Amino acid sequence: MENLQSLLHGFTIAITVPHLTLMVIGVLLGILVGVLPGLGAPNGVSLLLPLTFGMQPVSAIILLSSMYWGALFGGSVTSILFNIPGEPSSVATTFDGYPMARDGRPTTALATAFGSAAFGALVGVILITFLASWVAQVALAFGPPEYFAVYFLAFASFVGMGGAAPIKTVVALAIGFAIAAIGIDTVSGSVRLTMGIDELVKGVSFVVAVMGLFGIGELLIAVEEEFQARAVSSRVDWKEVFRALGRLPRHGIALLRSAAIGCWMGITPGGPTAASFMSYGIAKRFSRNGARFGTGEAEGIVAPETADHAAGTSALLPMLSLGIPGSATAAVMMGGLMIWGLNPGPMLFVDQKDFVWGLIASMYVGNIVAVVLVLLTVPVFAALMRIPFAVIAPLIVIICVVGAYSVSNSYLDVVLMLGFGVVGYLFKKLHYPLAPLVLAIVIGDKAEDAFRQAMLMSKGSLGIFFANRLVTTLVLAAMALLLLPLALHVVRLLRKPDEAAHEKVRII
Amino acid sequence: MISRRALEIAAAALTGIFGVVVIVSSIDNGIGWSSAGVDAGTFPFLTGIIIVLGSLYNMGQGALGRGSLAIVRVAVTASELHRLAGLFVPAAIFVAVIPIVGMYLASAGYVFAVLALPKRQSVVRALVIAVVTPLVLYVVFERMFQVSLPHGALGAALGF
Repeated sequence: MENLQSLLHGFTIAITVPHLTLMVIGVLLGILVGVLPGLGAPNGVSLLLPLTFGMQPVSAIILLSSMYWGALFGGSVTSILFNIPGEPSSVATTFDGYPMARDGRPTTALATAFGSAAFGALVGVILITFLASWVAQVALAFGPPEYFAVYFLAFASFVGMGGAAPIKTVVALAIGFAIAAIGIDTVSGSVRLTMGIDELVKGVSFVVAVMGLFGIGELLIAVEEEFQARAVSSRVDWKEVFRALGRLPRHGIALLRSAAIGCWMGITPGGPTAASFMSYGIAKRFSRNGARFGTGEAEGIVAPETADHAAGTSALLPMLSLGIPGSATAAVMMGGLMIWGLNPGPMLFVDQKDFVWGLIASMYVGNIVAVVLVLLTVPVFAALMRIPFAVIAPLIVIICVVGAYSVSNSYLDVVLMLGFGVVGYLFKKLHYPLAPLVLAIVIGDKAEDAFRQAMLMSKGSLGIFFANRLVTTLVLAAMALLLLPLALHVVRLLRKPDEAAHEKVRII
Repeated sequence: MISRRALEIAAAALTGIFGVVVIVSSIDNGIGWSSAGVDAGTFPFLTGIIIVLGSLYNMGQGALGRGSLAIVRVAVTASELHRLAGLFVPAAIFVAVIPIVGMYLASAGYVFAVLALPKRQSVVRALVIAVVTPLVLYVVFERMFQVSLPHGALGAALGF
């Protein structure tokens, strides 16, 4: 009950005119960056960060987190209406959202997406409300081995449950780790993997990678398929909105399962992109309508959207209570926290009660604001669709170029971004998964640091990962997930030797 | 025309080469265990090994035509390749001239060239978009977000 009291106190902080105004501004800016492909929540939030330095930390985090919610919603708008994911995390929404919109049911697709997104976000916030302070207490006892085990579990779950070819996933992950290692090693201070290019000392920002892989890569795929934004009607039929929302409870199981996957992936931390893919893949495998996925199934929208938002929201849980961001955007926000003079981690719940609970309360309100605003503004943002692709494509290229440059005012980043674009195209074409690659870039060096600190503690013995029950459970679960594809393959070979060659479900 | 098999092999070769580079360069940093703990090169070294092994496996699968995409024989047709080049080549030229003429002129030229030359848009329209784009960039980045975009050698010569 203590949590509820704190939450009520949080509402008195969040529901004030200045903070509501900030939420509206944040959400609108968020939808804008969410709608623009290549410009996403992480870079949007980092672009906004300098403007928050003069603000109260609570106000600043409300602005940034609202932008995050807006971006999550905005990404779905273009996924459904354009078949261009505005955000990496809404890629999976295109699979069924766009076919449904093309069939003449854009309102249904949008309302289904927003409804399930709101549900996912709500589950995420409720989880934070009741779990965050408890996790923070537990985490006071966490050491590097436990942290590394959590990371290991997150990465193993990609291989085991990601749905793409396991070895391709492993290669993508490992490349991500190698890219994360480029630059100055935080432990020893030595310079690694720069290949003689001095400018690489600062490392390769994941934002640069994301812009290239998803922005340019996506664009190349689109142009190759002779992409034409068909004139899907962008009029929002309000009656249909409520009808579609009314139909959501029918997908109750999918909603709950996706929310659970989302929360899990948000916390572990796999992030919203991985969560939405995973949720889509699992829904496809277990749904009765699984075979019709990809043709405009409502459940194919519910699954990724719910998980996306559940993950996006619950990604703030480990950020607040452990100091481990659960997603790329949460990582940027965590940077903000440190600039504002706060120390993310368990102590936040002791020292900064107003900040923590103000933020949590604002997440309830902010998501409601986001649903309303995104529905109201769909026609405005969908007006972008009437612009021919030939005009939009170079503009997206320019946004990606400028975005990559503005990460650290480096021309090399622009060139790298273009290179990542080619890699993104190639990988997408050959079904190498991109999400694990990006996530490995984001948290690869943290995982490495945790590993090396653990090794220092144990003087080089791997036994430290089996030293107590918690860490042993985490490591064993990760190994089980890692070996899952192999086990499934063997089972399949034993059962139906002929069909084994044809069987394999792909999602990315 | 590029076959799927060739593309799979090329991609695996690319990742494999990257893996080798990672291995070689991390050996310079030292691998293994020293008094300071795990050496800086160890972790990248291991990832490099994983990349190389995985790439070899993927290359084998690709060469044998196995895997779930085996049915798809042609990866990129000639006309698709043409369209790909149509987007990528101008974009690459755009990026290449940024250090010389700066972001604003480069983006204006890029937009105009892409829109007006293939006669996708009328010249007047292309010109308008080409002028508006850098103006918007200037207002949003230089003014609102205080991010200075590259002005290029030309900008430096003119004193910007």
